[in-house]
Amino acid sequence: MHITPDTLIIFQWGPVSLNGTIFFTWCVMALMVFSSWLITRKLSTETHLSRWQNLVEVLVTGIRDEIRDISSHDPDKYLSFVGTLFLFIAVSNLLSIVPGYKPPTGSFSTTAALALCVFVAVPLYGISQKGLSYFKQYIEPSVFMLPFNIIGEISRTFAMAVRLFGNIMSGTIIAAILLTIAPLIFPVLMQILGLLIGLIQAYIFAILAMVYIAAATRVQRKEEETGRQSEKGDLLNG
Amino acid sequence: MLIDWFTVIAQVINFLVLVYLLKRFLYGPIIRAIDERERKIALRLEEASRKKEVADLEAENYRRKNREFNERREEMFSQIKEEVEVRRKDLINEARNQVDAGRTKWYEAIQREREAFLQDLRRRAGRQTCAISRRALKDMADVDLENQIIHVFIERLLSLNRDEIKALKESIHQLPQKISVRSAFKIPGKPAGEIKKALRNQAGGHVDVQFEVSPDLICGIELKLEGSRISWNVDDYLETLEESLLAALESKAEKVADRLSDK
Repeated sequence: MHITPDTLIIFQWGPVSLNGTIFFTWCVMALMVFSSWLITRKLSTETHLSRWQNLVEVLVTGIRDEIRDISSHDPDKYLSFVGTLFLFIAVSNLLSIVPGYKPPTGSFSTTAALALCVFVAVPLYGISQKGLSYFKQYIEPSVFMLPFNIIGEISRTFAMAVRLFGNIMSGTIIAAILLTIAPLIFPVLMQILGLLIGLIQAYIFAILAMVYIAAATRVQRKEEETGRQSEKGDLLNG
Repeated sequence: MLIDWFTVIAQVINFLVLVYLLKRFLYGPIIRAIDERERKIALRLEEASRKKEVADLEAENYRRKNREFNERREEMFSQIKEEVEVRRKDLINEARNQVDAGRTKWYEAIQREREAFLQDLRRRAGRQTCAISRRALKDMADVDLENQIIHVFIERLLSLNRDEIKALKESIHQLPQKISVRSAFKIPGKPAGEIKKALRNQAGGHVDVQFEVSPDLICGIELKLEGSRISWNVDDYLETLEESLLAALESKAEKVADRLSDK
């Protein structure tokens, strides 16, 4: 029994090995991209929609609304990153009902990779909004807070990775254990619970990423507000 | 070790590729489609709003025309009513005039018929009276009616009053032609001579007398003078009969006329 699909070797060619995590990730990617291509191949701009187009429009619109609620910004800037995080994790988890499939999110390497992406994306979005002055927030309220801020960034990234990995891996292992103890009915219920947990984890991961990004961009807004207030004060004083 | 750094890097790359692919095949087209649909819906709403404005204008226009049409219809209706009333009065007057004219014609025709009837009656009654008298005189007194008439006429001539004699004389002098004695029958020579003699006696001189037979004089004899005449005939007797008949006829005609007007 494999705790993580990293240890499941699908293909070995000399020093290069294709493990289960990468393989199933590709499967998920292929499925998502192919489905997207199929659905968006003939999009209707009229009021009558196909069911699949309606589904993806509901998904995309829902994600945009969530992003708009959290960031109060134009959601399209973050949609690709946050939406892909959510959809990838959600599809990876939901496919766990397919026999023989191992969710790549059950691999710590995958969750770490996703958390790393968030870890890098947050300052990138911050810098793209504010420039290098983004880094000022690490020395606030005082320069002595710099190590703690950095540790906070790293720890929250680590927490994201561990949280997702733990939830999915535990779900898979529990299902496997239950199959040996009580092979009838009970594993099905746990599987259903696992699907729910998988969706919730996808939502949590994406929302957390968006919250971090929003926090990074909110710094600038605070400064803008402060700037506007000082201008007002100047006008009043002057 | 749960973490495999090669896999981590591979997954980062995979994720970035997936981000790009989904942006290319999912988010981009879907957002474009949604934006396009929103634009179309906005256009349609705008178009609908414009059409509604046009429709409102049209509806207002229609209501105004309808109102004008109703007003015009009422006006025309009252005008036609007035014209009909005038026409009705004209027709009634025309009919009344026609009825009056017909009634007048009818009265005239009745009048003419009555006169013709009375004329005829008078003539027949006179003749019948003459015939009866002649027969009665012949049967009872063995006297000829004509001779008796001539006798009465001569006595009448001889008993003329002063004014009549004066008129006779003036007529004789003024008239260039002969004095005409008209009778319903031919006067034989002897009675004619007696008449001439009686005239001569009254006129006091020569008198040229011409005797004429006139069937109009029913059973009578007449001498016409200037402005007057001396005669004896049944006409005088028939006058009374005619008057009574006329009164009876008029009363009958009035009753008929009243009945007709009632109808």
